[in-house]
Amino acid sequence: MDVGFSMSNSAPGEEPPFELAKKVIQKFVQRQVFAETKDEMALVLFGTDSTKNPLEQDGQYQNITVHRNLMIPDFELLEEIANQIHPESQQADWLDALVVCMDLLKKQTEGKKYDRLVIVLLTDLCTQASPDELDIIIDNLKTAGITLQFFLPFPAGDDEEGGGDGDRGGSGHPGAGKGLSREQEQGLDMVKHVMLSLDEEDGLDEIYSFRNALEQLCMFKRIERRPTAWPCQLTIGSSLSIRIVGYKAVMDERLKKTWITVDAQTNKRDDVKRETVYCLDDDNETEVQKEDIIQGFRYGSDIVPFSKVDQDQMKYKHDGKCFAVLGFTKQSNIHRHQFIGNQVIKVFAPKDDEHAGVALSALIRALDELNMVAIVRYAYDRRCNPQVGAAFPCIKQHYECLMYIQLPFMEDLSHFTFPSLENKKFVPTEAQLSAVDSLIDSMMLVEKDESGEQKDMLKVHHIPNPAFQRHFQCLHHRAVNPGTPLPPMEPWLKAALERPEVISERCQAPLEEVKRKFPLTAVEKKKQLKTSAQIFGKDTGEPDAKKAKGDEEEEDYNLADIAEGSVTSVGSVDPARDFRTLVKLKSLPFGEVCQQLTHRIEQLLSNKNTHYYMKSITCIQAFREQSVKLGKADLYNSYLQSLKRSIPNRGLEVFWDLLVQDAVTLISKDEVEGSTVSKNEANQFLITDEKKEEVAAPTTEDTGDVDDLLDMM
Amino acid sequence: MAEWNAYYRNEDDEEEQEEGEQSGGMVTGRDSLVFLVDASKEMFIKEEDGKPSNFDMTMQVVRSVYTSKITSSYRDLVALVFYGTEQSKNPRNSFKHVYVYHDLDEPGAKRVQEVDELRGSKGAQLAAKTMGSGETSLGDALWCCANLYSDIKLRLSHKRLMIFTCRDDPHEGDSVKDRQGRTKASDLRDTGVIINLMHLMKPGGFDVSLYFRDIITPPEDESDLGLQLEPCAKLEDLQNRVRAKEKKKRVLNRLNLCLGEGINVAVGVYSTAVPARKPPPIKLYRETNEPVRSKTRVFHTQTGSLLLPSELKKAQVYGKKQIVMETDEVDSIKKFEDPGMFLIGFKPMEKLKLHHHVRPAVFLYPEEDDVKGSSCLFSALLKRCSERNMFALCRFTARRNYSPRFVALVPQEEESDEGKGQITPAGFNVIYLPFADDIRTLDAPQLPCASQEQVDKMKQIVTKLRFKYRSDAFENPAIQQHFRNLEALALDMVAPEDIEDLIMPKVDQIDTRLGPLVQEFKDLVYPANYNPETKPAAKRKTGGAEKKPKVELPEDELRAHVQNSTLGKLTVPVLKDACKKFGVRTTGTKKQELIDALIAQYFTKFML
Repeated sequence: MDVGFSMSNSAPGEEPPFELAKKVIQKFVQRQVFAETKDEMALVLFGTDSTKNPLEQDGQYQNITVHRNLMIPDFELLEEIANQIHPESQQADWLDALVVCMDLLKKQTEGKKYDRLVIVLLTDLCTQASPDELDIIIDNLKTAGITLQFFLPFPAGDDEEGGGDGDRGGSGHPGAGKGLSREQEQGLDMVKHVMLSLDEEDGLDEIYSFRNALEQLCMFKRIERRPTAWPCQLTIGSSLSIRIVGYKAVMDERLKKTWITVDAQTNKRDDVKRETVYCLDDDNETEVQKEDIIQGFRYGSDIVPFSKVDQDQMKYKHDGKCFAVLGFTKQSNIHRHQFIGNQVIKVFAPKDDEHAGVALSALIRALDELNMVAIVRYAYDRRCNPQVGAAFPCIKQHYECLMYIQLPFMEDLSHFTFPSLENKKFVPTEAQLSAVDSLIDSMMLVEKDESGEQKDMLKVHHIPNPAFQRHFQCLHHRAVNPGTPLPPMEPWLKAALERPEVISERCQAPLEEVKRKFPLTAVEKKKQLKTSAQIFGKDTGEPDAKKAKGDEEEEDYNLADIAEGSVTSVGSVDPARDFRTLVKLKSLPFGEVCQQLTHRIEQLLSNKNTHYYMKSITCIQAFREQSVKLGKADLYNSYLQSLKRSIPNRGLEVFWDLLVQDAVTLISKDEVEGSTVSKNEANQFLITDEKKEEVAAPTTEDTGDVDDLLDMM
Repeated sequence: MAEWNAYYRNEDDEEEQEEGEQSGGMVTGRDSLVFLVDASKEMFIKEEDGKPSNFDMTMQVVRSVYTSKITSSYRDLVALVFYGTEQSKNPRNSFKHVYVYHDLDEPGAKRVQEVDELRGSKGAQLAAKTMGSGETSLGDALWCCANLYSDIKLRLSHKRLMIFTCRDDPHEGDSVKDRQGRTKASDLRDTGVIINLMHLMKPGGFDVSLYFRDIITPPEDESDLGLQLEPCAKLEDLQNRVRAKEKKKRVLNRLNLCLGEGINVAVGVYSTAVPARKPPPIKLYRETNEPVRSKTRVFHTQTGSLLLPSELKKAQVYGKKQIVMETDEVDSIKKFEDPGMFLIGFKPMEKLKLHHHVRPAVFLYPEEDDVKGSSCLFSALLKRCSERNMFALCRFTARRNYSPRFVALVPQEEESDEGKGQITPAGFNVIYLPFADDIRTLDAPQLPCASQEQVDKMKQIVTKLRFKYRSDAFENPAIQQHFRNLEALALDMVAPEDIEDLIMPKVDQIDTRLGPLVQEFKDLVYPANYNPETKPAAKRKTGGAEKKPKVELPEDELRAHVQNSTLGKLTVPVLKDACKKFGVRTTGTKKQELIDALIAQYFTKFML
């Protein structure tokens, strides 16, 4: 990268070439870091005030600094680029810099295996370069097999970007419209000469402008995986086999890394230990040793103990790897929506086996001409269960292959019947259908252009997975700007997920028409029954047993509802149930019922016994659930807060523990609009304060809190 | 105050999130199904051609429903009740000629065995001995079933009753009993029970309109579809018909298909093809065989105190840097928008590529109950897309904190088979489309193509082996074997029943069908000395291929690898050894996992 003094020159309001070049490098390194490629990278700066390179001698190769030797890029490099690379005040010959880079590549790749050697030059070409040794340099580049890429502040080909729309050149590419200096023009000619000598046809394609490069580098690299070959034999019957190699061609890709859990204070993973204990499902939650655990399976209402050893011995076994044809069938018998699994495998013949190639080609073409597919038994290896799938013929211009896609087993299918839509009530009128027709017309994503060729405006398989892009964007942000909140989504990513602009403009009127022609009214629903998980304010992570308990509670309550219609106050036998019933009956004001309930809770708590604690918790849960249902958070929240305050004085820590375990939180704004508690506060409520409390506890002398609690209601 | 912070977390949390898409849904109660089976003499009449009697056929179907419930939804409740019996057996013995063989409960191994006992000619004898055939009062039978439902203390989400009979006039003109039956049926329907008729062959034809029309629940769409059905003569038909009704449609979720500002069509998302898996094992206490619960505690290694979620953060390592985030930030990164489907545009069907497949499709059907008018607009879209051979491209966010995917809505028209009911319902199939990341670049080998002669020979082979593929023709041998094993253990059988591996090629049959064609084809494509079974001409250097000695990795070398991010160059065995040697805990054995573990260890030890 050229850091010489001309690089920081710019017209007012424009970013200097130095900044742009730096951004290009940053983006490039970021992509490499997150893609975790094994590509190694060195950084050579020229135009530096000092000189530091292996070739410096006798005043030669001055003002060129090897900033970093060839190695895998990391965050250290990113930080260095951000903090240590500044515009400097010297100038250096870019051809000299090129020679330093060539030397570096040669020396530092010794003994290493590599696919490609590339030198990328970022410069404004403002320094006069001496063309004396140009041809020697070109020859050396050729022998070493080094390819070059140039990044310049202006576009190189005047026929491409500059010529056609001259007015755009000025705004889009600063420098281009203003004409180049004599040095720059000379330099550009030399660059073109070098590039064309290296690659006569496409040489100029490797000269980019900073702007273009930045646009192309804005997304993180898509996940690339080296395809792994799966050699096998395709068999038809016992005596016809064809050697094949399978590759995953399409695969529902996941991120390679998972999150690890670290301690919030030290950020160390080793400080966190996870331990799983097992306990019986009894009242005492008796703990059971790991050695005393055996494995079982459910068979309907029975639970059958079935050890791992027995399971392995009795399980279905097969002969391993196979790709065996069961038969052939018409393509129309295979339904696309019944494809299963998450991958497509392309099957070729091995590249060094012509005979297999011919045999497989005969099969592919036969299937293609007959419009049929092979139904095959596919097993990846002995450890994987075999599948059934279809092998489709696929003939492209440059190759032929079979495409294997898994098909369902009988057990995988559910045959649902749905009411016919040919119902008088739903059949659309002609006018309605034509409104839909014009909507479809206006929203066609594939159109013929002037030359009659079909153009697809939105190829979604060219869009990178937004989840990965966002993931890396946030990781990158956090790595570079620690301590600041995560950034919003990148605008280009947002735009990539939207309708193309042409479409959204064009479909406005037809959409309005559809809106007029098809009345749509949302139906007010009675509140859906809350699952216990929702009631407890937890979305996931409830052990099954707990869920089941929740179910039973609700079921009990429904029964009780029928059995005891005449509840007049919150009794002591089952206060939670009485409370629910009373709230439902609305015979008493809500506040009154709540007060009755809290009385009972306080009575229960005074017993200091786990059984009573559990009962109080069910009361509090009922309190919470009904408050949420009615959208009244205040009474509940203030009760729970004052209850919490009173815990240390009343020695109810054990009870509070239980409450924490059940995650009975405050009611947050997210659940009830009128609540003054944010979701975060609600979650923190059970957690953070206890340290403060430990300190605060001795100072509180107030003993009258029980009465206070009640008065508040 | 050590246990003050006690915090338990379900260990499967993360897995659940991973797999949440497939499971989940809105399950708020149990499904229940009562088989009400006619036990009159007519049911036991054997056909002359050796076909099973109606009763025998019914028992086979009941058995297959029992076992399928066991494998797929063991929490559903099933009952088996006979009517028209001589003997009576019911909870309070208040009904004559009604025999409750199984009351409503989860099906188990014992019940399967008991149904088995009623099959075949022995079964008929047993039925005659224990129950006999007597008077018929459908009213009593239905009343008894109503009691079964009301005796259940659990909440039932779906109640169904299936009547199996071959008598279209059960009371033979007794108008009092007829009326009683109608009243009881209507009572049952009022409590939400759906009554279906599985009518069986009867000489002279089964006339539904004679009596049963007033008993059963009218079909959902108020058309006459349900009544025109022919009686089932074949076991397969009966099985299909029962299977179609037996399972409740479970909607994965309901959401809006948004065409534009303010144009929201309510739709339900259903999954019609999901890979069935072996159910996960349950941990049991050795002494009593009772299930145990697992609790996972997270605590601080040094202080031993339990850690709350707020005391934990999440991290990933990239470019030798550990990047840390709050747990809720990790969630927020995943969130793009609220669940829903957003219409982007339309494309002709040929733009939907066969190989653009990343996961099983789901099915879309309008939800008139959520947004009135949905069915009409949905139906108009479906009609036009189908006629114009188009699909709709949409952006689809399936759940909260799920990132969007592009999907193709492919129209599917309703297909019905006369007499047998619906084959495919009307609606859109939702095909998930790949992103750029999901498509891999492959180097296709350049190989010669086959000549027309060779292709024609293969065509002969293909034609000889053609068959009509049906998607429900193959059972999963691994899962079948697993359940047979469990069945054998549960019933104390000596050995599990054998399974037939339906996806094994029938090699002998194939060979006979092809005859000389195979050799002819091989002569056309393979040279004389070519053997596809062996590896091609020895590529390997002979002699020198000794096994490499085990490589030990010194600590400083390991450190260098970590620093230069070159751990990837090491082999898995070396990495494993390194993990062992330096006491690194690993969660997996994949290369990346080993590398991650080593790097994490390195950072905690040396850097922080």
